[in-house]
Amino acid sequence: MRIRAAVSAALASAGILLVGWQSGVHVADTRSAVAAAATGNQASGAGTTDSSGTASSGSAASSGTTDSSGTAGASGGAGAAGAAAKAGGTYDGDVVQTRFGTVQVQITVKAGQITDVTALKLTDAEGRSVQISNYAAPILRSEVLQAQSADVQTVGGATVTSDAYLTSLQAALDAANL
Amino acid sequence: MNTQLLPSPGTGTPMRPDRRPAPVRETGRFAGQHRGRLVRADALPVTAWSSLAASVALWLADGGLTAASSPAGLVTALGIVAGLAGMDLVLLMLLLAARIPFIDGAVGHDRALEFHRKLGKPSLYLLLAHGLLIAVGYGMAEGLDPVSEAVALWVLVPDMWLAFISLALFIAVVVTSLVAVRRRFPYEFWYAVHLLTYAAVLTSLPHQFSVGGLFAAGTWQRWYWLVICIATGAALLYYRIILPVRATFRHQLTVERVTSVAPGVVNIEMSGLQLGSLAGNGGRFFIWRFLAPGLWWHPHPFSLSAEPVRTGPDGQGRLRVTVRGLGRGSAQLLRLRRGTRVAIEGPYGLFSSAARSKDRVVMIGAGIGITPLRALLETTPFDPGRATVLLRGHSSQELYLGEEILELCRQRGATLFHLTGGRDPGSPDSWLPAAEHLAGYALADYVPEIAHADVYVCGPSRWAGNVLNAARAAGVDEDQLHHERFDW
Repeated sequence: MRIRAAVSAALASAGILLVGWQSGVHVADTRSAVAAAATGNQASGAGTTDSSGTASSGSAASSGTTDSSGTAGASGGAGAAGAAAKAGGTYDGDVVQTRFGTVQVQITVKAGQITDVTALKLTDAEGRSVQISNYAAPILRSEVLQAQSADVQTVGGATVTSDAYLTSLQAALDAANL
Repeated sequence: MNTQLLPSPGTGTPMRPDRRPAPVRETGRFAGQHRGRLVRADALPVTAWSSLAASVALWLADGGLTAASSPAGLVTALGIVAGLAGMDLVLLMLLLAARIPFIDGAVGHDRALEFHRKLGKPSLYLLLAHGLLIAVGYGMAEGLDPVSEAVALWVLVPDMWLAFISLALFIAVVVTSLVAVRRRFPYEFWYAVHLLTYAAVLTSLPHQFSVGGLFAAGTWQRWYWLVICIATGAALLYYRIILPVRATFRHQLTVERVTSVAPGVVNIEMSGLQLGSLAGNGGRFFIWRFLAPGLWWHPHPFSLSAEPVRTGPDGQGRLRVTVRGLGRGSAQLLRLRRGTRVAIEGPYGLFSSAARSKDRVVMIGAGIGITPLRALLETTPFDPGRATVLLRGHSSQELYLGEEILELCRQRGATLFHLTGGRDPGSPDSWLPAAEHLAGYALADYVPEIAHADVYVCGPSRWAGNVLNAARAAGVDEDQLHHERFDW
């Protein structure tokens, strides 16, 4: 009887692990595609220096094509600090290092209002971090736009990314004198 | 003649009981229940291993292997897997201690706790490995040594300080449960530290869901983990708190009287309501709390020593336990006052007819371990001539409830042996009195057809171990051996 239990346990465990492994391979494939899409998205986000607030940067699907190099450094849009008080423009936040990768956001300001938040860099250390970033960034963006400040709640399961996102955002807000 | 009393040593040479090799034919009335129990007993390890595999599969299904490509990633990945497996073992331990009837009915309370104990060290090692590997892996990724990384995790990452506290609590709980350490402290100290398990589990939960990326909001893995955590908590709450409280209010037990059986041994009789639902549990134990000053917090595991007796309408009746003043707590019980309220949990254990697999039954008890056999003998089904009772004690005074058992054996047609006298100091493996042992008796001399019987053994653990070995030597299958520890 013990043999029956041992054999069943071994078979069941092996089956479960196999199913997990198989779906893991599947997930890894789709995720590299998502990651590619995400970098493309970030690149296109960085490109929008014309401050068109409707360029929904949160949805990775809309710009699924890997069209650019993805080196989204401090592009030209960074407003010449302080002076441009309540005018318009885009402002880059600080680059924040986390254990899951670097985070940097850019805000678009029009008439003293934050009209858009774009993630220039998001945590991408592992496939999982990319997935978390893609999940958390749109939520953070919409909350920030609603609150018009960095004073919003972190996203559950993405506290590290959220904290870095909001830290970078605060720096951008400071730069914009908001 | 159904009753046979061996002359005690000193009054003459013991007589060798006559062998009666009878053809053994099973009616098979216990076959179904036995098969069902074995299937359930096998289902338990299968479930346990599957849950462990599932916890790793969660990570695999998340593409965990792709993250393990760099050295730092590999160490971190191992840390994550260790954490998942460790938490899964902790949940299994909690379930094993939750007194779930399915588990109790399949393997019995003591076997479940034995398994619970076995998982203690592996789960702690996994959790320690989890903490270490994560600190090293994250540190490698960031170019920090593990200690600074651990400090950074504590200070910077939300909920991580709780996880550190949790690990410290787990260490405390497992260390105080090690046999060597546990012996040095009173039961109450161990129990208090053990309660910290709940704090350890609760403080470990936040970081699993907030820091652990695997369980990020919106993943199915998060739901799976939430469900198993909540289900475990619910099982503990229901079976360890709600059911006992309900049973206590339902049965309204109060102490009726305490009568002396032998020096240091008393019958505690209790009256209560709706006792019919407790019938048929002869041999199983309940956990009693006598709600008197200084006693109420002390749980006592005692078996019923007799079936509930009906005394009035609506299930009004009397229960009885027979108790020896062993520990400090038990000694106080000898002076219980009439009218003391009693809280009850149970019944638990598999020392009952539910464990039967054969038509024949043999009951072997020593000292205070005789008393649950008394209740079992009262109700467990057998045809006249198919049951044997062996009672062991230093003197006939120590064969507690011997008169009642003799009477029951007469009524039901069971063979009874009294085995009294001191042990042979030269043979620690013997379960018999010195005279019988030296005369060369073995278990099969008392019960020739023992290989075809269920054997119930209750007594001090050393002695019981000797009996079980003797039974195995006589050809009794492991499935037919039923043993209850009562001195724990």
